[in-house]
Amino acid sequence: MKRLLKSLTRLFPRGFRDRFGEELLDQIEQDYDDARMRGLGAAAWTTLATAADLARSAAAERLRPTWSSHRTEWESGMRSTLNDWMTDLRYAGRSLRRSPGFAVITIGTLALAIGATAGMFSVVDTVLLNPLPYGSVDRLVAIRASAPGSDMPAEFGVSDEFFIQYKEQSKLLEDLSTTNSFTSTARLDDRVERIRMSWPTNSLFSTLGVKPILGRLPVAADEENAVVLSHRMWMSWFNGDRNVLGRTLQASGSTRTIVGVMGPEFRFPNEETMLWLSSELRADRITSPGQFGTTLIGRVKPGVSTQALASELTALSKALPRRFGGNATYAQTIEKHRAVVRTFRDETLGAVSRPLWVLLGAAGVVLLIACANVANLFLVRAEGRQRDLAVRRAIGAGRRNLIWSQMSESVVVACAAAIGAVALAGVSLPAFLRAAPTGIPRLGDVKLNAATAVFTVLLALVCALACGLIPALRASSPDLSRLGDGSRSVTRGRGWTRDVLVVGQTALALVLLIGSGLLVRSFWALKHVDPGYTTENIFSFQIAPEGPSLRTPEAFARFDLDFMRRLRALPGVESVGLVDNLPLNEGTSGSRFRAEGSGTSADAGPRVNFTFSAGDYFKAMGIKVLRGRTFDESDHTTTLGSVIVSKAAANLLWPGQDAIGKRVQMNGSDVWQTVVGVVNDVLQDDFRDAPQPLVYYPLVVAGRPNWAVSSPAYVVKTRRADVIAPEVRALAKAVAPTAPMYRVYTMEGLAKHSLARLSFTMLTLGIASSLALILGAVGLYGVLSYIVAQRTREIGVRMALGAEATRVRRMIVAQGARVIAIGVVIGIAVAFVSTRALSSLLFGVKALDATTFVGMSSSMILVGLLASYLPARRASRVDPIESLRGD
Amino acid sequence: MNLLDGSGMSLLEYHVLLALASGPLHGYAIKDVVAAESSGTLTPRAGSLYRVIGRLMTAGLLVDTEPADAPAHPGLARKYYTLTARGRSMLADEARRLKQAAMMAEKRLGVARSRS
Repeated sequence: MKRLLKSLTRLFPRGFRDRFGEELLDQIEQDYDDARMRGLGAAAWTTLATAADLARSAAAERLRPTWSSHRTEWESGMRSTLNDWMTDLRYAGRSLRRSPGFAVITIGTLALAIGATAGMFSVVDTVLLNPLPYGSVDRLVAIRASAPGSDMPAEFGVSDEFFIQYKEQSKLLEDLSTTNSFTSTARLDDRVERIRMSWPTNSLFSTLGVKPILGRLPVAADEENAVVLSHRMWMSWFNGDRNVLGRTLQASGSTRTIVGVMGPEFRFPNEETMLWLSSELRADRITSPGQFGTTLIGRVKPGVSTQALASELTALSKALPRRFGGNATYAQTIEKHRAVVRTFRDETLGAVSRPLWVLLGAAGVVLLIACANVANLFLVRAEGRQRDLAVRRAIGAGRRNLIWSQMSESVVVACAAAIGAVALAGVSLPAFLRAAPTGIPRLGDVKLNAATAVFTVLLALVCALACGLIPALRASSPDLSRLGDGSRSVTRGRGWTRDVLVVGQTALALVLLIGSGLLVRSFWALKHVDPGYTTENIFSFQIAPEGPSLRTPEAFARFDLDFMRRLRALPGVESVGLVDNLPLNEGTSGSRFRAEGSGTSADAGPRVNFTFSAGDYFKAMGIKVLRGRTFDESDHTTTLGSVIVSKAAANLLWPGQDAIGKRVQMNGSDVWQTVVGVVNDVLQDDFRDAPQPLVYYPLVVAGRPNWAVSSPAYVVKTRRADVIAPEVRALAKAVAPTAPMYRVYTMEGLAKHSLARLSFTMLTLGIASSLALILGAVGLYGVLSYIVAQRTREIGVRMALGAEATRVRRMIVAQGARVIAIGVVIGIAVAFVSTRALSSLLFGVKALDATTFVGMSSSMILVGLLASYLPARRASRVDPIESLRGD
Repeated sequence: MNLLDGSGMSLLEYHVLLALASGPLHGYAIKDVVAAESSGTLTPRAGSLYRVIGRLMTAGLLVDTEPADAPAHPGLARKYYTLTARGRSMLADEARRLKQAAMMAEKRLGVARSRS
């Protein structure tokens, strides 16, 4: 405390400190000691009061020194300049207070724009600019695969044998690990929850260059018995207990010993990951190659490019069939295989960086428009002061002096705006973050920090400069001839600065309008995509029941059928069904299938996804049954071998034929399944994708005794979808007391969620563009109003000479129209180039969509004309006598 | 309001001069005396106090001295402040002005009271 106070004495000027420093310190010490004897409260109060007093008197001493014996020439020069500046600022503050309307509009406009920009900056700074919390991030890469010309997806995850091969033989890789993420049950005593887990190779930690804050990392000797906790898990399940090491917990069905705890910043592969299970991948454990789907994370040696690594890995993969075997399809896939290597930064931030930069850009554009607007207002204000400035110039005020005294108003406005902006950002940032879609890494860490504060201050200074400099420069060379004439003369000629500003505003506003127009159209298109099912009035959840009686698919089926019967009995429930992978929530797994009589072997057939369903799933979800029937209870209790296929699967397996009664076989099984029904396609993952072919199995499948559907998603069709959760929870608790209920959704919520990223960007850009439109219109209105005011006399003369009101109106509107037209042309040109930045967000509309371009340009022109019409109408009502009376 | 720009004497300035009228004091003692003589309404913190002292010295109303008979203070070479002749007369002027002002106030309040 004392040290803080003592350091504050350094605020005093040197001369003062030399003379009084020692005594100051002495008194501060005595004051503090006296107060301390009276208690802590008194000490705290004294500290505060003394600190405030020191700061205040030091500032006062610097501005109006009392101690003058040691003042240097330079210091006094500085001081007088500073004094002049302060006087100017005080004067500016006073004069702003005299025109509150101007102050409120300029400060409000800038605060809004600076606040939005600063808020977006803090998001971009935290999410994108902050270095990722791993060692030498620039050497980390993500490795996936492609096989152009095969029937594999454009890009897919590798399989385990790739990892072995790369790890052993790559000369460019320093370290390599697998990564994955799944939801499973964790159990500690009687706490049971479904949580996000990861089961990477132990090398994950060394690859990323991270260390635990407690304990150690898993090693090969741990086999599959160790677990590393995330900081979140450590805090929420163990209260941060440091004796957690060595304790055991059940995770994903096995008992594991806690060996380490990671720091709070380590959240990999996603924010929700709660723990990492130990595992070691060995070559001798790979029995069937080609189980694709794993993303590898690698660390390259210094100076290795992604291209160099990709070609090395592509070459290495060619030896895989020779080493690990596999069938002919696998060999063909490998033949066409090309490694896909991406920087780790692109992999983790690539998807979110584009929208975030677009939003920051939009905020920046709004800020530019706001600056142009405010600059315009300052120009108008300076215009009104020409006479006053001419007087000051005439009596010897220097040019720099005049510039500064003009700038000082914009400095005051910008500073006030910056304070307002920080307050605004502080209030609106949390709301903004709540509205943001999930899955943006580190979004939870976003807050107003020092970087944002510095950014805001810099922004405010730039704004002050931008808004004040042009008016100040113009004001600094006032027309001395104005001294002689009356104050109501016509001013012409210098309006071009204002026109340029309005042209710029119009152009920028149009760019934002077109951008948000494109997003609105995409959103509209996505919203009207038919996903193949309805989303209204559907409640969904999962439970993962466990118990000694639940071992076989039949047992699970009996449990599910019974549970669904009870769910159906709940009040207001129309139908109940279940599915293993709920659309929009989970992807489905895929396999190769062959149709009977197709002549190919099963491992060479087309890739089709599969899932399981029971009850009135199709009815509840509103999925149309196109042919045949759906499963009945006997399909789930006995191995009848029925399957239902989607339209796309039927077309793929039996093009042009009726699929009912046809038989199909999955790769790796020797049992044939008979198609009993064909249902409509559904969009499983994303409204943007084309529907995938899908095979639905019943709960019990012949020849697959291990395929227990242990944690399906139950689908409940009811008008009470929003409120039924507690009743369902109670029922679930009754039938499976130890099974946590999780993934509780309404389908409507999921649909909204899947649109979230786009709707969020659209909404934000929409707000930005409406702001831009309003600011642009206000700017145009202001300029034209001003021109009308300036030309009142001229208009009066025209009207006295017989000009009609309509002609006068047309004249003013034409002036506005010219400015808007130029702005629109430039805006379209800029939008032509810049909307490409949005293309990854668009759906069902091209970046150069003519309708949007024309529509938005017309609305810009319309708003502009309206903004010109109002001053024009005023001009046409000028009374010639009134306007001429002044002279 | 301060002496340097001729806009009159502040209350704290007045009390510092008053404290020194009975003899030289060091900084901390000035603070105590000011606090006591203003019935606790003025308890100047270090920064304000030394700024006032600086101002009064610049205006030539006090000087710092190191009196031979001052009690030795272990470890601290304390500066003592003494009123100059000019300081003494300024204090007297201000006291007179305050007295007149106070009398005027009493008179008016008295008149006002008798009227009501």
